[in-house]
Amino acid sequence: MSLEYSITYTAENTYENWVNDAHWQFLIIPQKNDNQEFIDVQFNNSLNTINQFSVNGYGFRTIRVHPKKKFKQISFEAHFKLIKREVNPFDFIEEEDISQAYAHIEELNFKVDFEAFLRNTRFTTLPEKNRDAFLLDKNISLFENLQALNEWTYTHIYFKTDVTDVNTVLDEVIENRHGVCQDFTHLFCALARQNGIPTRYVSGYLHQGNSLFGDSQMHAWAEAYIPKIGWIGFDPTNNLLANTNHIKIAHGKDYTDCSPLKGVVYTTGRNETSHTVQVSSQQQ
Amino acid sequence: MTTAENQLFSSYQRNPLLFDEIYDKDGTIMSIYSELFDLYGEHSIKDYVKLNDKAKASFFNQGITFQVYDKNETKEKIFPFDLFPRIIDPKEWDIIERGAIQRSKALNLFLWDVYHDKKIIKQGIVPMDLIGSSANYLDQMVGIDPPGGIYNHISGTDVIKHNDGQYYVLEDNIRCPSGVSYVICNRTALKRALFGVFNRYKTYSVTNYAENLLDLLETVKPKGVDIPNVVVITPGMFNSAFYEHSYLAKTMGVELVEGRDLFVENDFVYMKTIRGPEKVDVIYRRIDDAFIDPLEFKPDSAIGVPGLFAAYKKGNVTLANAPGTGVADDKAVYTYMPEIIKYYLDEEPILNNVHTYHCSRPDELKYVLEHVHELVIKPVDEAGGYGISIGNKLTKEEIETVKKQVKESPRKYVAQPILSLSVHPTYIDETESFEQRHVDLRTFTVLGKDREFVLKGGLTRVALKKGNLIVNSSQGGGSKDTWVLKE
Repeated sequence: MSLEYSITYTAENTYENWVNDAHWQFLIIPQKNDNQEFIDVQFNNSLNTINQFSVNGYGFRTIRVHPKKKFKQISFEAHFKLIKREVNPFDFIEEEDISQAYAHIEELNFKVDFEAFLRNTRFTTLPEKNRDAFLLDKNISLFENLQALNEWTYTHIYFKTDVTDVNTVLDEVIENRHGVCQDFTHLFCALARQNGIPTRYVSGYLHQGNSLFGDSQMHAWAEAYIPKIGWIGFDPTNNLLANTNHIKIAHGKDYTDCSPLKGVVYTTGRNETSHTVQVSSQQQ
Repeated sequence: MTTAENQLFSSYQRNPLLFDEIYDKDGTIMSIYSELFDLYGEHSIKDYVKLNDKAKASFFNQGITFQVYDKNETKEKIFPFDLFPRIIDPKEWDIIERGAIQRSKALNLFLWDVYHDKKIIKQGIVPMDLIGSSANYLDQMVGIDPPGGIYNHISGTDVIKHNDGQYYVLEDNIRCPSGVSYVICNRTALKRALFGVFNRYKTYSVTNYAENLLDLLETVKPKGVDIPNVVVITPGMFNSAFYEHSYLAKTMGVELVEGRDLFVENDFVYMKTIRGPEKVDVIYRRIDDAFIDPLEFKPDSAIGVPGLFAAYKKGNVTLANAPGTGVADDKAVYTYMPEIIKYYLDEEPILNNVHTYHCSRPDELKYVLEHVHELVIKPVDEAGGYGISIGNKLTKEEIETVKKQVKESPRKYVAQPILSLSVHPTYIDETESFEQRHVDLRTFTVLGKDREFVLKGGLTRVALKKGNLIVNSSQGGGSKDTWVLKE
């Protein structure tokens, strides 16, 4: 069975003074993959400048906008419609001999192939004293360990908005024990990588059920690589496995590789920016 | 002619412990220098100073200057120049040239590998750390096939002559090696001042560098392009090497641009001109990786071109050198060069490597900490001679500070024995006479598709401070014209 999702993304930027030159790059288009298929991508900006569809350095689709005249206000509106195959996150066969996966992740070839997702970045570096905060239990499978890590992360920090931002590093998150989805995800990635499990940061949309308005925010979760199974999505903010409601945009080593909007704007004075996201679904 | 009769060199003092390039062990002038020695000897010191001052003035008048960065200020200086040239014997040059090509090709294959299958790491020949903890490894380059298969189009291989008479490579510069404009300007200045000496020696020309560079850059044009439009991009007139950027553009006959002169539309790069946009196919970029595209790398870069990397990834433009080459000129990679050459080319290294201790290895770290006074300690990721400590020149307190730094981040440092660089007679203003000064040689190798070129000559850099071993211009070095003789 599959579901059709509609996503609306809007952003509005207002500047106190004229902007003479600006470039934006949006990383907001849902990824095309085995579970996500497109039917429609629409993107408009209020200045009617051409929208350039391209890819970023990691191969994910982007939209770039470069207005050709000066302005003080610009708004963007994107509509995506896609069909998602209904996923059962438990739909895979675990190896009978659980020790094989542990041996596999120790191999040099494996470590080299997944080097980027085993590396610590600015946002996934644990404070020295917390390196052992989560250790693998080799009596249970790798997948079960990751589920335990998902739950550990979920219970270890409290969801609280406006206390962290895009520059928050793990030292603060661990110290204060609160944060938002990207902090949960960075912590999950850091601890999984610390245990030798390749893990990537995923940005996307979360459909929070068919309420009347279906309002949502952009969301972040993690994907961990289990030998012979592949990448499995873990959502430590909600203590869930990523499922049909998780619509993936991009992945990377951390938030930096996935930030939804990058811009270079030449202006002076104050500016205000805001964005909204709506996700709704209907059964096909 | 004996030394006493030679006015210019009569007061030249030779330290028998140093390897002097113009005298042999017995104090006889090397045959290759004998005619030059006599020719120069006809002049008095006074005449020589006059000529030297004229040459210096011409550098200033042409604006051939560079800037020195200090904590508090930047200064504009001319690159101190010396009219007494260095001569390289054809047989020795042959070794240097073949060695430089061999290294450049091996590094190019190494770069291909670390951005594709990473076989050399999987086979355990170099450690994974070399890419994993290198600040210059660009994940965005993984899987990209640069046009013509070339990453390090331009390599600056620095070699020195040790007191055993052999050449050793000090480092491979494959980000944006600079200095080639000085090679050509030094030659021009020497020709102006003492053109007569060139009648007695058959010296290879160096002025063909630009045309060869352009030819080879054209061989790595993007697919589907007939006659490529080449440009040189500079960070701007305040960059220390701006003179060189403008010189290269001028002599190649191509446009010199800044980031704001280019724009990207639908993944093609265009230059703004008064006739409208003009497509650009090959960019010789003299901007560091981190600054080339604010949408992909450093977001506050004001000197890059937004969208440039996407155009590169799509294969619509060639960047020379390719982004991410810095991972291979890391000083830790240098130490594996013999293995890297053997692995990719199945050849023995033609040029020697200096033995290097990796502070990241516990046993080698221990040795380094115990022998700081007899080693050169270098940070692995700094260029331009910054952050180098020479053990036998440090005070006790300084040794302790260095030890502390190394202990805190061992991966950041390598150490090498203190080499005895050869010396060359160099005119010193303060004493108004020729004195022995240490020299090295920066060579320039250009790789194109199935073709390569080494500039026959190079930049001989002189450490002007007595006893100093650091020759970089930013550290108070000077330079000399360098002659490669025809057989």
